[in-house]
Amino acid sequence: MTGVNLESITKRYGAVQVVHSIDLEVQSQEFVVLVGPSGCGKSTTLRMIAGLEEISDGKLTIDDRVMNRTAPKDRDVAMVFQNYALYPHLNVSENIAFGLRIRRESKEAIASSVDEVAGILGLTDYLERRPADLSGGQRQRVAMGRAIVRRPKVFLFDEPLSNLDAKLRTQMRAEIKRLHKRLGVTSIYVTHDQVEAMTLADRIVVMNDGRIEQSGTPMELFVNPVNTFVAGFLGSPPMNQVQAVLAKGANGPQALVGGTVIDLPKLDALQNDEGRKLVLGIRPEYVTIATKGDKNQVPLEIDLVETLGSEALLHALLDGVPFVIKSETIGQISKLDAVTGFTIDPDLIRVFDGETGDALPGQDRAV
Amino acid sequence: MTMSPHNAPIVEPVPVEDPYAPPKGMDRVVDHLKREWQLYVMLLPLIIWLLLFLYKPMYGLQVAFKDYSIFKGVANSPWIGFEHFETLFGNDQFIRAIRNTVIISFWTLVIGFPVPILLALMFNEILNATYKKWSQTIVYLPHFISSVIIAGIVITAFSPSAGIVNTFLGWFGVEPIYFLTKAEWFRPIFVGTGIWQEAGFQSIVYLAAIAGVSPTLYESAVVDGASRWQMMWKITIPSIMTTIIIMLIIRIGNILEVSFEMIILLYQPATYETADVVNTFIYRQGLQAGQYDFAAAAGLFNAVIAFVLVISANALSRRYSRTSLW
Repeated sequence: MTGVNLESITKRYGAVQVVHSIDLEVQSQEFVVLVGPSGCGKSTTLRMIAGLEEISDGKLTIDDRVMNRTAPKDRDVAMVFQNYALYPHLNVSENIAFGLRIRRESKEAIASSVDEVAGILGLTDYLERRPADLSGGQRQRVAMGRAIVRRPKVFLFDEPLSNLDAKLRTQMRAEIKRLHKRLGVTSIYVTHDQVEAMTLADRIVVMNDGRIEQSGTPMELFVNPVNTFVAGFLGSPPMNQVQAVLAKGANGPQALVGGTVIDLPKLDALQNDEGRKLVLGIRPEYVTIATKGDKNQVPLEIDLVETLGSEALLHALLDGVPFVIKSETIGQISKLDAVTGFTIDPDLIRVFDGETGDALPGQDRAV
Repeated sequence: MTMSPHNAPIVEPVPVEDPYAPPKGMDRVVDHLKREWQLYVMLLPLIIWLLLFLYKPMYGLQVAFKDYSIFKGVANSPWIGFEHFETLFGNDQFIRAIRNTVIISFWTLVIGFPVPILLALMFNEILNATYKKWSQTIVYLPHFISSVIIAGIVITAFSPSAGIVNTFLGWFGVEPIYFLTKAEWFRPIFVGTGIWQEAGFQSIVYLAAIAGVSPTLYESAVVDGASRWQMMWKITIPSIMTTIIIMLIIRIGNILEVSFEMIILLYQPATYETADVVNTFIYRQGLQAGQYDFAAAAGLFNAVIAFVLVISANALSRRYSRTSLW
């Protein structure tokens, strides 16, 4: 049972600090995805775990052993790189066997391991080919093969699907997930693609500017983002964020968005402080479209309808700010052009403080 | 006009020109030139240089088959077939020059070719940037020194009276050796000098090739547990193998082009036995003795052998390593 523990891990390049004292505990067999925008420190964190970057401060333990000064080869981790890192002069079989040869395993053991891995990854027919003669997906599989053939304690993935086209990425994503289920190896996966993060992770760690913003299951982060950054990062399309001012209504707290009034959840934090600046987080999926005559609708001006098949994205302006609605198309496609506004259950609105961007307390929903 | 069975005239279909069809023949060439004329303008100086300095002199090659007289000129001198070549192969000095050329070239290739590769690999392993820059500068420096000065340094270094080599040997009780007048010492000194002068500069090509190797290959190998030695053998060298092979083909093509000026500067009649090469032979016969036709025959022979060598090396490389110049 191998866990990975990061305690106050810091990375500095000279005077520039790129990772700020992060704490993260990855449980044995867990699939953790580090997600965040470019430059947020997620790859640097992964490289520190692999031993490719020195840890400036803090403690890294793998399997309860402190690894700060341990050479990469002695950490018993395997890494899959974004550009696959396949040796162009070696064929598929030799690429997969590279790590075993370096460790001077017997020829019989190497051959048997390579055959087994090639079977798992569907590479048996390509063992004699060189990387240049393979497709992107096949190369990715070889890279995975190189990692799993050593049976490491931890898998590290550094944006392994970024170089693939959308269709292949979806396919490989599923293969990685299946592989993790089958092998049960603790995995840490870095990506900037929130769809990959949502679909693969047991737990997502959202990073920003070298810090962890939030860590939790995909649904926890989707439903209960702790701040506007996480709210805007996860979800496709992301959560709408509308600037508003707190007002007192007859039936509870309300938000004033320009001249429009929106009912808010009855949170303790919203009972006072009339005039307080708020940010309303409204998921595009949570709103119901309304047409002329529907009551209690928040008025909108639709300027574009993108039909995606079973769903459509309605791009609109709410008080001059872009606002997106995700609506089903089946049975209501003709209605989409006539949309004049939306309605929403107040309890589905996530309310953030207008100054700090942090979610107000007491509004987390069960997932 | 053709008539139909019903006596109505059959109208032959008139071919209609497709205005969107791609141009053919000269139209295509003109189209291409109009589109890419800037590239051809840039290419022009090189083409002119090639024509003037490499192709035009080939006209003079015919004197190898003529009884050339400077008064009659190239065109009017009488043809004598392969007479000069027959004389050439009956000439002991020429046979000696060929033998020396092959031996010197062989050692220059065998010892001199791997040295720049080793230097590049060693430079690549130096982690301290300042030390690396200084080492590279020191090793590149001899390339930028004139051959005359290099020869002067060699003559001084091997001088029997005050040379550093003899002084060093003197510490061990060895009597001064007249290195540059002894035929058996000429080849080692010449090959060593050439390596010292050029190996550093030649290593730049390999360093550039090494710089092109993806760093993630090394990172991946580090995670797999490879040592620096293993990374050099299993990643660096195979990754620059294409460059090594291409450089080898070029070197084989130039195998008969022994550094002519350095030999002229270092050799003397006492060392002709091991030092006189085809180019110095041509120089003495052509320029000093005025036998231009005879020297042209020797030069042509040299060029034909070099041509055959480069074609063969390229073919062998293509067959065994999937890498070739063309």
